[in-house]
Amino acid sequence: MSDDPDKVWPTGLTLKEAEEVHSYLIDGTRVFGAIALLAHVLVAVSTPWLG
Amino acid sequence: MFSFRDTALRKIQTIGMRYMPFADVATEAVPLSRLLRLSLFQVTVGMALVLLVGTLNRVMIVELGVPATLVGVMLALPLVFAPFRALIGYKSDIHKSALGWRRVPYIWKGTMLQFGGFAIMPFALLVLSGFEEAADAPAWIGQSAAALAFLLVGAGVHTVQTVGLALATDLVEVEEQPKVVGLMYVMLLVGMIGSALVFGWLLEPYTPGKLVQVVQGAAVVTVTLNLLALWKQEPRDRARAARVETHPEFRDAWRMLVEGRTAVGLLVVIALGTMGFGMADVLLEPYGGQVLDLSVAMTTRLTAVLAGGGLIGFAVASKVLLDGADPVDVAWKGTLIGIPAFLLIIAAGPMGQTAMFVIGTALAGLGAGLFGHGTLTATMRAAPRAQVGLALGAWGAVQATAAGIAVALGGIIRDVIVALPGSEFFRPETPYTPVFSLELALLAIALVVILRLKRKQARLDQTRHYHPPRQDRPDPPAAQNAFHAAEAATQSRGYP
Repeated sequence: MSDDPDKVWPTGLTLKEAEEVHSYLIDGTRVFGAIALLAHVLVAVSTPWLG
Repeated sequence: MFSFRDTALRKIQTIGMRYMPFADVATEAVPLSRLLRLSLFQVTVGMALVLLVGTLNRVMIVELGVPATLVGVMLALPLVFAPFRALIGYKSDIHKSALGWRRVPYIWKGTMLQFGGFAIMPFALLVLSGFEEAADAPAWIGQSAAALAFLLVGAGVHTVQTVGLALATDLVEVEEQPKVVGLMYVMLLVGMIGSALVFGWLLEPYTPGKLVQVVQGAAVVTVTLNLLALWKQEPRDRARAARVETHPEFRDAWRMLVEGRTAVGLLVVIALGTMGFGMADVLLEPYGGQVLDLSVAMTTRLTAVLAGGGLIGFAVASKVLLDGADPVDVAWKGTLIGIPAFLLIIAAGPMGQTAMFVIGTALAGLGAGLFGHGTLTATMRAAPRAQVGLALGAWGAVQATAAGIAVALGGIIRDVIVALPGSEFFRPETPYTPVFSLELALLAIALVVILRLKRKQARLDQTRHYHPPRQDRPDPPAAQNAFHAAEAATQSRGYP
């Protein structure tokens, strides 16, 4: 079962598969960050909170 | 000792797998509960539609005081992406992934776009309306931010719905497809009605803070429901991931889809029928109010009557299609019901017959339900397994574009007639009758096109000795009988 050096545990995914699952998380975080930044800029335009 | 190690590893593996977002194996039959969960993505689509077309339309004009033309342009922006649904569907068909996924990555990306659009939308709208300090900011900031928000939501909705429907089609057998289509339509309706009620209740009385809460709340609900919907739905496919495939270009894929089939004819029918049924959607309420003097509470119930008719239509269509009816035939009957429906609606105004108007509205809903279910099922059934995304993308592109154009056109025709010189002497129904008549004409053309389509299909079946792609093939005598019946039908219509 653990003979395949290409597989990562505990999920039994191959390295490529695990990297793909991870990439969705990373991309999601990036989009989330960009959206949050834009939202903050827009809020700052209407109700500035830094003087 | 070794067995302990094996057991421990197996245990760890099962625990790990539980937190992985894919279905472990492609099971034979997908249970209804799982399909029900998948259909949650339609709830978020319905919610987004209501928020854009209904709630924000009103809030922007009434509470935020944004000029109506600017609101119209902003709300039309999501429509720009509708034709790209075909491309999105095609891309998902040929998606290359180490997991062998085709649909989940696109639903996830679409969800992120929809979430992002909703997350910045309330602030963009507040800046657009010149809220507090934003009045001093340059106008382009608010305009471009609002435009970006609407574009993001539009792109997200189109992606999620197209690829979500493709995933649903992938998961079930051909015989089960009518059930899925019915489920998807009902959940869309549930999402629209439910969120319209909730938004109305939450935004009363309106404050800018509440706008932010409601729209961003919608963003969170979108991500939550869509994650719930696609969790463990699409099986991991190592065989597909390992295959080195060469895929046809978009143009070639499209040619493969339409050549020797009735696909283009079906798309024409979908455009005509969707416009025919959809044009009155936003005009029925003012018609009831201005021509038949119905109160606001009564006209609101009218929308419920229309939706109720649609629900009955979906239920009936699911039933007869699961029993083996031809989906194009069901669409034909739906269109046929639309004709007396709009005749009743047109006649009810001058005659002052409220009951007649309500019956006409219910019939219009019923016809639209049968038509929508029949055409979507026909699209799914005709799609080759490898081109499900493209076929449903084409369906969505035509359907969404036609619906958007229909609603806009209906409103424009009415407003133009109201603005005509001397319109104060017009009878109250004068601005509405041309729209309803146009719908009648579109439905009549759709009927003719469906008849031609059925003839062409019969002819194709005849030349190809084509058997419908069913698991339980009819036994040879029955197939022969069906074949002869089709032959007889073609000949009786004067075809060689």
